[in-house]
Amino acid sequence: MSENSSKDPVVHLDRNFWIVTAVLAILSIAGIVFWIVAPITKFLPAAVVEADEIDQLFRFLSASSTALFVFVIGYLLYFSIAFRRRSTDAPDAIGIQIHDNHKLEMWWTILPTIFVVVMAIFSVRIWYGIEVNNPGNGLSVESIGHQWNYTFRYPGVRGEITDAMHLPVGVPVTLQVTSTDVIHSFWVPAMRLKADMIPGTLNTIRFTPKYPGTYQIICTEFCGVNHSVMDKQKVVIESRPAFDAWYDGWVAKNKNASDELPKASAGAVALSGGDAAAGQKKFALTCSSCHAVGPFSQKIVGPGLKGVLHDPAHPSLVNGDPATPDNVAKLLQNGYSGSLGQMPNQTSNGLTNKDIANLVAYLDSLK
Amino acid sequence: MAVASIAQHDEHQGVDRLYAETRDLRLQGFLLFLVSDIVLFSSFIFAYLYLRNSGQGFPPPGIGRLDVAFAAYNSMVLFGSGCTMHYALENWKHGNFNKYAGCLIATIVLGLMFLGGQGYEYHSLIVNDHVTWSGSGIFGASFFTLTGMHGFHVFVGVCYLSILLLQSVHGVYTKQKFFGLTAGTLYWHFVDVIWVVLFSIFYLI
Amino acid sequence: MQTHEQAELHGGGVADHIHPEPQTFVRKYIFSIDHKIIGLQYIITGFVFFILAGLLAEVIRAQMMHATGGVVDSNTYDEIYSVHGSAMVWLVVIPLLTGGFGNFVFPLQIGARDVAFPWLNMLSFWIFPPAGLMLFASFLMGAPQAGWTEYPPMSLQGQAGTSMWCAAIFLVGVSSTLTGINFLVTILKMRAPGMTFTRMPLFVWAQFATAPLLMIATTALAGALAALFMERQFGVPFFDPTKGGSPVLWQHMFWFYSHPAVYIMILPAFGMISEIFPTFTRKPIFGYKMIAFSSVAIALLGFMVWAHHMFTSGLAPWLQLPFMLLTMVIAIPTGIKIFSWVTTLWGGKIQFTTAMLFAIGFIATFTFGGITGVFLSAVPFDLHAHGTYFIVAHLHYVLVGGSLMGILAGMHYWFPKMSGRMLSEKVGRWTFWLFFIGFNGTFLPMHWQGLMGMPRRVAQYDPQFQGVNQFESYASVVMTIALLLFFYNVLWSLRHGKKAGPNPWGARTLEWQIPSPPHYYNFKHVPTVFAAPYDFAEPLPYTGLEDELTDSPGPQPASSSSS
Repeated sequence: MSENSSKDPVVHLDRNFWIVTAVLAILSIAGIVFWIVAPITKFLPAAVVEADEIDQLFRFLSASSTALFVFVIGYLLYFSIAFRRRSTDAPDAIGIQIHDNHKLEMWWTILPTIFVVVMAIFSVRIWYGIEVNNPGNGLSVESIGHQWNYTFRYPGVRGEITDAMHLPVGVPVTLQVTSTDVIHSFWVPAMRLKADMIPGTLNTIRFTPKYPGTYQIICTEFCGVNHSVMDKQKVVIESRPAFDAWYDGWVAKNKNASDELPKASAGAVALSGGDAAAGQKKFALTCSSCHAVGPFSQKIVGPGLKGVLHDPAHPSLVNGDPATPDNVAKLLQNGYSGSLGQMPNQTSNGLTNKDIANLVAYLDSLK
Repeated sequence: MAVASIAQHDEHQGVDRLYAETRDLRLQGFLLFLVSDIVLFSSFIFAYLYLRNSGQGFPPPGIGRLDVAFAAYNSMVLFGSGCTMHYALENWKHGNFNKYAGCLIATIVLGLMFLGGQGYEYHSLIVNDHVTWSGSGIFGASFFTLTGMHGFHVFVGVCYLSILLLQSVHGVYTKQKFFGLTAGTLYWHFVDVIWVVLFSIFYLI
Repeated sequence: MQTHEQAELHGGGVADHIHPEPQTFVRKYIFSIDHKIIGLQYIITGFVFFILAGLLAEVIRAQMMHATGGVVDSNTYDEIYSVHGSAMVWLVVIPLLTGGFGNFVFPLQIGARDVAFPWLNMLSFWIFPPAGLMLFASFLMGAPQAGWTEYPPMSLQGQAGTSMWCAAIFLVGVSSTLTGINFLVTILKMRAPGMTFTRMPLFVWAQFATAPLLMIATTALAGALAALFMERQFGVPFFDPTKGGSPVLWQHMFWFYSHPAVYIMILPAFGMISEIFPTFTRKPIFGYKMIAFSSVAIALLGFMVWAHHMFTSGLAPWLQLPFMLLTMVIAIPTGIKIFSWVTTLWGGKIQFTTAMLFAIGFIATFTFGGITGVFLSAVPFDLHAHGTYFIVAHLHYVLVGGSLMGILAGMHYWFPKMSGRMLSEKVGRWTFWLFFIGFNGTFLPMHWQGLMGMPRRVAQYDPQFQGVNQFESYASVVMTIALLLFFYNVLWSLRHGKKAGPNPWGARTLEWQIPSPPHYYNFKHVPTVFAAPYDFAEPLPYTGLEDELTDSPGPQPASSSSS
């Protein structure tokens, strides 16, 4: 109690205390040096640029924690031994009645605060580079979690790839993940990155592959009876030519005769008189298996369409045309096949011109 | 046996002090209970706002707007019952048993009317608009769960107030000792406050 | 502030209100409204569930002996760790620390005769065993399998036991909430005359910081559980994405409770350490005010960091940032406590009783667990470590190395007060060392396993981890032996332990100034307090206790009731 602390005895720190402090300081420095030089990648390769940064953060956290822990445990042990009750002590012997020490308490509040600030700055910088300011503008890939395997979708490759996820060295990647059933997670220890695969949403991680190799993908979110064995697939990081060869192989493999889309009926669809309510019914029947009535990010196969005609963040349709009612009608007529996927055309979808007008009216009504 | 007046006398000092301190404890405890009940509602209100923000339009197309006018009328009934409850307690404190009883009965009746109104709205939604608790996506889920929880609290409140009425008729409470009535009034106001929030988030925004 | 004579003259208040002594066996020991009996009931029940959940843990370790599993099939294994975790959190640690030690100890420490609402206290307890049995009964109908966190959509598809789980945890949550209300009002209103907040023992401060968490956070969980139950049983969509719901919504609702829950599980343990240290160093706790205020700070901050469990769930970056920073900030009040405890040792006359050994060990293991928590607060590191054995390591260091060590310290400290007998210090020392070694052997290597690639909740794993897993399983046996020794110590000492007397430790808080075990009325006269309890150079800061240890008759029950 500070009402007593003015009567506290004066504290004398004896020589042993300083010797112990010096020893702890040396041990801490040794610990810090250990973490600076520890060959992390000998145990776990760092496959992407971001992994190296995360390892740096880990070294910093480990080094500073080791120093802190050495001091806390060191003093804990030393005080326990130095101030143990001895058999020569009187039965009612008491300790030195110190209540507090404002200067000491101030320092051990300020110094940890400074440390937390430094740690925050370090972490935020690395976080910013990974989560916020990571362009990922080279290759867009998707991975979809299923019970109990991963599939991958690449631009220009029809359907899904079911073996490994190949990536070329040096090309920034945007990986978007989701799931068709329950929550899974996409973790590559060598990348030090993971993202949960949540049905109904699309989560994104961005990274730039750096070291060629084959790395395990492991599921870290309980997903059912075979969760333990959802760790058999790999990420393969390889040179550009090797990647291109693999990619071309899949394009050819998944090609399909019906990829030649039949040309749509001539002429634009007349949009006047479109019935939004009828359009809603048609949407539920025909479109909702691939499109949600939700924001763009609420992706099933294609993006959510609630804002397709009214969302300033997404002013273009998948084929690059500006999002206007006429262009939507044209897209529904002709379909789309390209690097962002496949959308069936009017014939494949079984839509009459009236259906298209109704759908456009419905989509226009969603604000 | 009706007691047409409110007992004035109380026992000696020691018991008074005990009563005062016990009442203090009970008041604090009851208020904390209301706080935890607010947290329960808040978790569902959070869920509703979160789902509404992240998904389909509200109400989803095809369901149409909720009947704001009817709900506003029903709200007036509930807020009115809050006023009558306030006056009931005031009248008790001033020793007017008949006025107190009249106000309390009015509160109970208005509470029942509110529940009836809710029942009517539920019926209309389910039968006319085909909006159900489990079959209408997150709108049906949130609306029926939250208003249902609230309606259940109103129902419990009506039962509680009825018991208070019977107890006061049998002379359980005196002019100095009437914590049960205070608690009932606090609970009833709490139910009102929750409704203000629910009405705003379902009907106004 | 009144002297106790003044209090006697006015008399009649809550502080002096005494219930008539219960006469029948049932009213004394079964349906008791006495906080001491209720506290013991919680402790006994909590330890029974601890044994059950511990057996589940040993099945886990048996399964982990071989990379291909083989002890139980995957489905059963999933049930086992899910019930293990749920039971340990909700049926063991929280009830022991709040309902158990909270009930028994702190009302004595504030000089009260009971808690504010004794009947409600009894109700709170009696909800607990049936709820716990419900959780274990879920094995009979297919127990929950998606961990103690039960994320949908997995939990939506779970077996019938998942609904039992919802109901059981909901019920035990009601018990918690009522306890929180009870404790908060008791501390606010029923402290002895003269006991201002800055003269309260630190265990009371800890319960004071924990009570709002119990009250507020638990009802948020109740909402989540009710929603999951309604969706599973009645198809009401909250979390199913195919019906417009959101799995991430569950995570928000669940963790908004479950993060404060971990502070519920550690703050009372902190309070225990703060009581044990002064007693066995014979000096005041260092930095009383900072320790008291940091408890409140941790409780408050605890409400603001829940989404650090969700960094990989797709939170927008602008949301990740504040949760990361606030979680880092919690390290500061926690660090202050740890430094204060260590500094308390300086200049002491330290007595290494078993309680003190566990308290000192607590500082080592809890600090380690807290440090790994700070690692996890950094989002980039969490992106690697989330969902792996690193998390399993962290959580066991804080919950076993922290909460459980605190419980064991508290048991060795307060057993004499509860039972009137001493535990064997010799057996206690064996208990401590075996436990400390076994615990660290079991959980320290898990940090490495997790970082190297072993995910959690797996019935089989990559063969590269088999060696370390076997080592851990053997170490867990050492831990189990330690715990068996502890139970043996308790059971033997209840019959044959040395008689304890009122104050075997020479401690200064109020519970040690009355007989062991206390009379049902606690104090013959409610004492008056005029200083904090930890000044060993001063006489005891109480008046009115002269009669407590004599043979004089106890106070008579109050004759009238109130309405």
